Amino acid sequence: MELEIQTVSKKYGKDKFGLKDFSLSMDKGILGLLGPNGAGKSTLLRLVATIGKPTSGAIILNKNNIVKDPNYMRKQLGYLPQDFGVYPNLNAIEFLAYIAAMKGIGGPQLKSKINGLLEGLNLAHAAQRPIGTYSGGMKQRVGIAQALLNDPKIVIFDEPTVGLDPEERVRFRNLITDLANDCIVILSSHIVSDIDTIADKVAIMKDGTLRAHGSQEQLISKVKGSVFETTMNKATLRSFRENNLVVSTARQADDLKVRFISKTSVPGAIKKEANLEDAYLFTTKMNSTQFV
Amino acid sequence: MKSFFITVKHDYLQRTRSYTFLITLCASLVIAYTFVPEPNASYSTIRIADYVGAYNSAWFGYVTAIMTSIFLSLIGFYLVNNSIKTDIATGVGQIVASTPVSNFRYLFSKVISNFFVLMTIVLLVFSMSIVLFAMYNAGFPFEPLQFITPYLVITVCAMFFISVLAVLVEVIFGKYAILQNVIFFFLFCSFMFISPKTELQYGLDVFGNTIVMDHFEQTVREITKSDEKTDLSIGYVLGNVTKAKSFTFKGLTFPISFIISRFLWIALGIALTAMVSLVFHRFNLKAPSIKKEMTKKVKATPFSGELDVHRLPHVEPNYSVLPLLKTEFLLLVRRGKKWLWLINLIGMVLLAFLPLSIAHQMVLPILWFLQAHRISGIVTKERAHNVHYLTLSSFLPVRRLFLSQVLSSLLLLILLAVPLLVRLLMLQDFISAAAIILGAGFLLFLATFAGIISKGKKLFEMVFFFITYANLNGIPFMDYYGGLPHNGVYLIKLSAFVLLLASVTFLFKIRDSEQ
Repeated sequence: MELEIQTVSKKYGKDKFGLKDFSLSMDKGILGLLGPNGAGKSTLLRLVATIGKPTSGAIILNKNNIVKDPNYMRKQLGYLPQDFGVYPNLNAIEFLAYIAAMKGIGGPQLKSKINGLLEGLNLAHAAQRPIGTYSGGMKQRVGIAQALLNDPKIVIFDEPTVGLDPEERVRFRNLITDLANDCIVILSSHIVSDIDTIADKVAIMKDGTLRAHGSQEQLISKVKGSVFETTMNKATLRSFRENNLVVSTARQADDLKVRFISKTSVPGAIKKEANLEDAYLFTTKMNSTQFV
Repeated sequence: MKSFFITVKHDYLQRTRSYTFLITLCASLVIAYTFVPEPNASYSTIRIADYVGAYNSAWFGYVTAIMTSIFLSLIGFYLVNNSIKTDIATGVGQIVASTPVSNFRYLFSKVISNFFVLMTIVLLVFSMSIVLFAMYNAGFPFEPLQFITPYLVITVCAMFFISVLAVLVEVIFGKYAILQNVIFFFLFCSFMFISPKTELQYGLDVFGNTIVMDHFEQTVREITKSDEKTDLSIGYVLGNVTKAKSFTFKGLTFPISFIISRFLWIALGIALTAMVSLVFHRFNLKAPSIKKEMTKKVKATPFSGELDVHRLPHVEPNYSVLPLLKTEFLLLVRRGKKWLWLINLIGMVLLAFLPLSIAHQMVLPILWFLQAHRISGIVTKERAHNVHYLTLSSFLPVRRLFLSQVLSSLLLLILLAVPLLVRLLMLQDFISAAAIILGAGFLLFLATFAGIISKGKKLFEMVFFFITYANLNGIPFMDYYGGLPHNGVYLIKLSAFVLLLASVTFLFKIRDSEQ
């Protein structure tokens, strides 16, 4: 199982790019896709999910160009879009049976598969009720169920944890880890904590381009030794920001505890262990004038 | 006051920047082109017995103003209604509700915005009438007042009242999209059937065309020296044009009572808006816009994390469209209120027992028109419910899903017509029976085509309303379901047209799904 994205571009209008010369390859495991809003994550995922066609480039799954043969991908795809919706008049069983029919699957086991998914996702008690009566988190779980209906070999989750509470997020991450044993999972988010505990590889995007790709260790190594923490008052923070990349601030009595990335140490600052969030901010902001 | 106009301006901009509006503008331009037929054309729009007006400024001005008043009232309602629903869907309504703006001011801003949208089209048609005058000029001088006066006196008031009606109907029947269509349809027909006898009664005609039509008749009667009521036709009448004689219409001086009545209609519109503002829900949607069943939320339960995907049974490939067809049909049937099916059942009973000609020509188009909200969403519901990403990434979406959508709609329309079909088959009237099936095909392909090109439901609803009105008036050109007596040639023409429409729709659907 191998997916290759080869110099893919998606152009909107005359000279606006949603994605520009994007290349990446992956095999079994979890790829975490990180990037700020508007980075092109959803555009990329929609192209991989065969919803749109790239302006140029190719997407190859097991040596099949899915731009030319989208149904090859569709047969083995599980996709949870960011803007996922449901037909409110259908109940969960009807809706999942409908999606199953759209995916071209059926057989005598379909009913027990649907029931199994609903039970496992704790929706069995509401299975006969219209989905319009569900809470946001329950609808999101219906979305997860539909993505898993066809025993997918490629699973794409675009911002999947929206609507889930903190505990559900942890359980969902466990589910994804379980899934990734024998398929490719692409998980997009702009929340680093959704990615850092489970992703085998991480890709960081900005402005439609791939800024960094590799294992978490490889990405973190770029900022190793450059992460510091210091305390300062509010008045000095503004000028401090102009010369350093501030990762986070936390109130501490009358002062602020500031975590920042800098190539050179600052008097009084303590060196800290770098993490994926530091690497992500470093990668997405390293072209800004804030970081010198 | 300034903030009121800012609200109106932005509402207007938001609505006129839609694709549907652009298409409506283009369609209006085409329709306006036909309002005054080209001198050698084989149809007429306003004809008094054997007479049509000489192509002078007054004839162009008054005929286009009347035609605009009637046709834009008919389709304009569908263009401007649902503006409150849009605010609900976008969440803007919730913001509006939390501001100090009064119900009346909000609703009146909607009326004015509706009015500006309609007047934009009127302005376009008005310009077209001058262009037509220049094109077909028969040596008559250009008299600007003969163009401006009828539009000011007749059309402006009619458009304002339609703008008010759109808001009124939405506030009162907001929950029932189908009832909004039906109520407006009957209101429109009622207004059209008002036939004033005295000068004072002309004021009762909100579309303002009767006074002009009577003046046309009067002029012709003076020429023919006849006291009998002259045969007057309005609408698209084919044939027999070359034999028509010409009369000169010099415009008319509107009586003061009529002009006052136009202002009174506007005042009545404002008063009605004020009245409904008392019962406006102000986006407190606990009950009004959400189905009762939907308000009974199920108890939310968390994801317990017990799903073991490896222990679930494996499914098999199955490319049959039957499960899709079943769900698409369910979605069609469940759309709208359950009790509206009672009206459908009554319609089916009427199809079974009324005289055949009435059942076929009148009841069937109305019964199908009642399904407008169902079939208008055949291809737009996926985007409306954000399910389109799932459908587009499904296996062979156009071939399988689109086919099932088309078939389920066809099934619904044919099922509704079953009592009539049985009667026709018993009488061995195979042409009419086939025409009904083809008519159902025409409707659903029209709905899908309009849905694909406009990405919304309004375009189809407007066109469908227009066609249904023409059907009830027995206009042969618009008879898509064999309601009028026809022969085999009609059936061949209808089949060819439906086939063409189906092919174009499939091509557009393929192109749409590839974008």
